[in-house]
Amino acid sequence: MTQTITIDPVTRLEGHGKITIQLNSQGEVEDAHFHVTQVRGFEKFSEGRPFYEMPSLMARICGICPVSHLIASAKACEAIMSVRIPHTAAQLRRMLNLAQMVQSHALSFFHLSSPDLLLGMESDPVKRNIFGVAEVRPDLGLAGIGLRRFGQHMIELLGNKRIHPGWVVPGGVTEPLTQAKRDEILAMIPEAYANLRAGLTAYKQIAANFKPEIEVFANFPSNYLGLINEDESIEFTDGLLRLIDPKGNIIEDGISASRFSEVIGEAVENYSYTKFVYYKPLGYPAGSYRVGPLPRLNIVKSMGTPQADIELAEFKQISAGPIESSFHYHHARLVEALYGIEKIEQILTDPLILDKHVRATAGVNRLEGAGQIEAPRGTLFHNYKVDENGKITWANLVVATGHNNNAMNKGVLQSAKAYVKDGKFTAGALNRVEAVIRTFDPCLSCSTHAFGQMPLVLSLVNADGQLVDQLIR
Amino acid sequence: MTQTKARCLILACGNALRSDDGTGLWLAQWAEEKFADSPSICVISRQQWTPELGAEIAQSQCVLFIDCSVDAAPGSIQLLPVHPASGPQTVSTHHSGASELLAIARDLYNSPPRTALQLTIGAGSTELGETFSPAVQAALPQACQLIAATLSGLLQASA
Repeated sequence: MTQTITIDPVTRLEGHGKITIQLNSQGEVEDAHFHVTQVRGFEKFSEGRPFYEMPSLMARICGICPVSHLIASAKACEAIMSVRIPHTAAQLRRMLNLAQMVQSHALSFFHLSSPDLLLGMESDPVKRNIFGVAEVRPDLGLAGIGLRRFGQHMIELLGNKRIHPGWVVPGGVTEPLTQAKRDEILAMIPEAYANLRAGLTAYKQIAANFKPEIEVFANFPSNYLGLINEDESIEFTDGLLRLIDPKGNIIEDGISASRFSEVIGEAVENYSYTKFVYYKPLGYPAGSYRVGPLPRLNIVKSMGTPQADIELAEFKQISAGPIESSFHYHHARLVEALYGIEKIEQILTDPLILDKHVRATAGVNRLEGAGQIEAPRGTLFHNYKVDENGKITWANLVVATGHNNNAMNKGVLQSAKAYVKDGKFTAGALNRVEAVIRTFDPCLSCSTHAFGQMPLVLSLVNADGQLVDQLIR
Repeated sequence: MTQTKARCLILACGNALRSDDGTGLWLAQWAEEKFADSPSICVISRQQWTPELGAEIAQSQCVLFIDCSVDAAPGSIQLLPVHPASGPQTVSTHHSGASELLAIARDLYNSPPRTALQLTIGAGSTELGETFSPAVQAALPQACQLIAATLSGLLQASA
């Protein structure tokens, strides 16, 4: 008899999803799927809106990474306008994007994943949160809250709003940085370094305890995609995309936003509203790949900042080639956050950072435009078509969760095979299956946000749809 | 990092696009204008209360939380003391309650405020909308008076 285990919803993610695990008659895992069960429709209801409204509309997709959507959308609009934004505006946006990356990575590591890492996968689910972490490691509780606050406060200072700032507009930003704000951000940086170091040190101390998880947490060869600079250093806001194969060889380089749709395709599976993104020349699913912190570090040769370069060198010692286990996303996230703080500090010392010229203006000069950036979770792509009056006639968004969808599903199957035996499951085992998804830090808000709080129900269902076992948290 | 140095912190919560759910934000805006010249009072409005606010609370001598209540009768005003949560806390990284925030100020920063109160107005409607229900609209003047009187008392007590 075939049976199905359902984890619904998957907890400690941005948004809501569920996992089903299908068992064969011997009680062995036969297949597993990660479902994103919601749909939002931003691409459809933006049709007919003026293109210059798109950044502020698209930012509403998410309360965690609105900055990513703001900037990707603004870049797509600038392609329609055919303008190059002023140097200072580009630097200010870069800093805003990095601030968001730091706060998002702090949220992912300290708030969402450190409870598993510090308290244990089998620990009491009631205590597996930032308060539980604070009980055993108050220093890390403070560091997590402090680091996230650093990024959020920076966003608030730059964009005048903590969530959904309207500061980024097509052509640049609405107002320049003031000296007072620059000095306030600079004053926050020493504490940000200290908080980040506390997390990085703690992670390195405990990572070796998770060898079994590292073995089965989406640990398989794959391709990797991410933005990179000409000098092969990491890039989040500009640069071009590079795709590498499982051995680290370059499959394709220099993919600009205008070429993105030529080489990247989206497939659909009947069990998820999120699309499955792939590299067209290899087809689907062979052309699937991973994005986000781990792939970015697999792709680059350097971070471009002193402290992060030292950490990158240590990180790359994990494997001679690309690092495969998604468990290492946690480590990569902390290296990136360190880079973010360093880069912000560098940008603030740019002699032109207080320059008043921060916006270029133009009308519709092209009927299609695309923009790509690195969001905290991975590559984000916005593509719009407009009529001659600048009204949106078509829009397409490719988000990080879509890029990672195939890898997440393979990872769930791999871990389910390791942890679900003889048709039986424990809360700890299923937490590990969930934890595989959390390593990717998917943002399901890019699909939708559910209303209200759903309980966690794990159901074992037979082939006839009858419930044979259930675990409720 | 810049933190609140005020003696009294007003911490409001709500969604201005959800009718009466925006009551807390409206009252916070009123308080911000009313007490604009008072350096002793700091007003923070958020759509959601998150753990980071624990640091702001820890810097304050007294806190007045303002929110709507979906459990109380529409338009009814309640002013009650709030205490730090104890025991295992079921928290979300997206949203924390007043008790959880006080627990953060106590447990992580070792600096809970001397006094913490929560003012709520019963919501008549939390449907999509930018106007208040008649019951809440009618209750706003009394809520403003109560906030003014409460702040006056809190500031005198903390002087």
